[in-house]
Amino acid sequence: MKKLRMAIFDFACCEGCQLQIVNMEEGLLDLLDIVEPVEWREAISDQSEEYDLAFVEGSITREEDEQRLKDIRQRARILVALGACAVNGGVNRLKNAPDMDEVRRCVYGNSATMPHLATAPTKAVGEVVKVDFEVRGCPMSRREFTYIVRCLAAATTPVVPTYPVCVECKLRETVCRYEFNEVCLGVVTRAGCNAPCPAGGQWCYGCRGLVDDPNVNGAKDIMDKYGKTVADLRSRMELFNSVEARQCQGQ
Amino acid sequence: MPAKKLSQSALALWVRKLIETRRVVAPQAKAEHFAYAPLSQAEDLRLDHDVTILPPRKYLMPPSEVLLRFTRKDGYTSVIEHEPMILFGVHPYDVAAIAQADRYFLHDRPDIHYQTRRRSITIVASDVQNASEDVFAACLGTATVHDGFDVLLTRVGDAYVIESRTPAGDALLALAQDLQEADPVSLGRREQVWEDAQKLLRRQVLKCNPQELPALLDAAREHPVWEKRSQTCFSCGSCVTVCPSCFCFDVEDELDPDLQSGTRRRQWDACLLSGFAVVAGGHNFRKRREERYRHRFYRKAKYLPERFGFMGCVGCGRCVKACTAGIANPVEVYNTLLEGAS
Ligand code: SF4
Ligand code: SF4
Ligand code: SF4
Ligand code: SF4
Ligand code: SF4
Repeated sequence: MKKLRMAIFDFACCEGCQLQIVNMEEGLLDLLDIVEPVEWREAISDQSEEYDLAFVEGSITREEDEQRLKDIRQRARILVALGACAVNGGVNRLKNAPDMDEVRRCVYGNSATMPHLATAPTKAVGEVVKVDFEVRGCPMSRREFTYIVRCLAAATTPVVPTYPVCVECKLRETVCRYEFNEVCLGVVTRAGCNAPCPAGGQWCYGCRGLVDDPNVNGAKDIMDKYGKTVADLRSRMELFNSVEARQCQGQ
Repeated sequence: MPAKKLSQSALALWVRKLIETRRVVAPQAKAEHFAYAPLSQAEDLRLDHDVTILPPRKYLMPPSEVLLRFTRKDGYTSVIEHEPMILFGVHPYDVAAIAQADRYFLHDRPDIHYQTRRRSITIVASDVQNASEDVFAACLGTATVHDGFDVLLTRVGDAYVIESRTPAGDALLALAQDLQEADPVSLGRREQVWEDAQKLLRRQVLKCNPQELPALLDAAREHPVWEKRSQTCFSCGSCVTVCPSCFCFDVEDELDPDLQSGTRRRQWDACLLSGFAVVAGGHNFRKRREERYRHRFYRKAKYLPERFGFMGCVGCGRCVKACTAGIANPVEVYNTLLEGAS
């Protein structure tokens, strides 16, 4: 079988998702049996003209990055968004306040007007180019990453969960965070991580993004049931799902 | 074998003996709740549990089980996973649910995976000592059971009445020391426990005879209750995942890293999940929340009774607690329908 020519690119992010790949150890050797890295700044020095499989990590925050991304898209047969930053903007999206000048001043102080720091509102990769597949999470799930690569190499369609994290909580018999009087985003967040946060005693902060048809209105209604407010819900959604959080009106 | 009597200390010794000989799985404390888990010492056994988070079906049909291994070159080999096991302390309503699974998976064309695992499981049932706050088993006739287990344990004051019903149960009892004949007083107290269970396991009251439910539902397809209650449904499937009477599954193949071989698994599925009814080509024939929410009640109280003669619900009340939105309670739904019908 011919190996897939693979490239990995990073934009605005902490590169934690790439680190997940580098840290796969033996898994990485298995991966190299089916893909051939042709461009990957963190691991090799080569560059390539085209790729079967391009992984894009990070969000798009500068105009020149949009162009670079479009260029990658043109050379790639399949493009996969890697991690929360790429899939929906992730934590980077927090900065998308109405006044970008204020954001620049706050972060860069006196250097705020330097041209290379001209930051624009954060976009997810899918807002700039067509994304074929997503590997969600912050950092992304290694298990899901290798699964998706295997599916693509075998030309089958990967099946990733469309249901909420609660399913995995129940399967692990984790006692629900709502019983501890906490607001947990697992009810609207896409599963696939095996619910490690609630199992470790921490509410889910939604790093895998929302399910396709999240019942955010339902979430608002049940805040009353647990003596919480919509503001409690919204503050938790800000971190990874700020766009949806801002659509969530009311008290 | 006639009923015997066992003191508390003799019971603990017997359980210790069982742990030495076989894998014993029993309810144990988990945070403020209880869960079935392998028992490593008799002290961890909680026969006083009210209800477990997941029912014992996780051992009869694990959430993810391997059905077969395949290779591109040589076809496939079935994988039959099983391990001799004693399911210890199973409440009557869960015993009733296991009998339902037996009906689905062992009759007509037996499911070899279920069958093999089922045959290697010995069930020690236990009458309920503490009722959970949501239970309504007594309304459905599952507060006590008189078959479907190998051994039944009933606490009578400081001792237990213990009765074996099968050769596998006799073999377990043979490991107990200090077994006495059950005296008439203890047997009388056991009768009393069974009678009391009819009141204790009725924390919620279904306001009709369960036999009336299929007809009630038949007339209720367009009832506003479905739309109204499902508005806050998260399609999280928790109500189904924790249910002892639900057995839906999905089958998935996963390739090994070399792409030359792989594994086919059976996984629990849940009809409340948005993708449950998606078929090839992408059509979803229960696309709306409301339709999925409604389906669960129809399956449990109409389709299954009509096909098999029993309800797909044993009244354990697990779904009531598991539903974050607080809308899954079957008793509330049926009673609401009854209000409209009268
Ligand atoms: S998704 Fe998380 S781990 Fe991955 S690059 Fe972004 S911030 Fe880092
Ligand atoms: S802890 Fe969160 S994810 Fe888990 S069941 Fe509760 S709401 Fe769902
Ligand atoms: S439980 Fe929530 S926050 Fe934790 S990994 Fe999963 S999606 Fe992310
Ligand atoms: S429907 Fe609810 S009460 Fe009935 S058996 Fe299932 S979990 Fe228990
Ligand atoms: S009824 Fe409750 S438990 Fe069931 S899917 Fe809806 S929200 Fe989840």
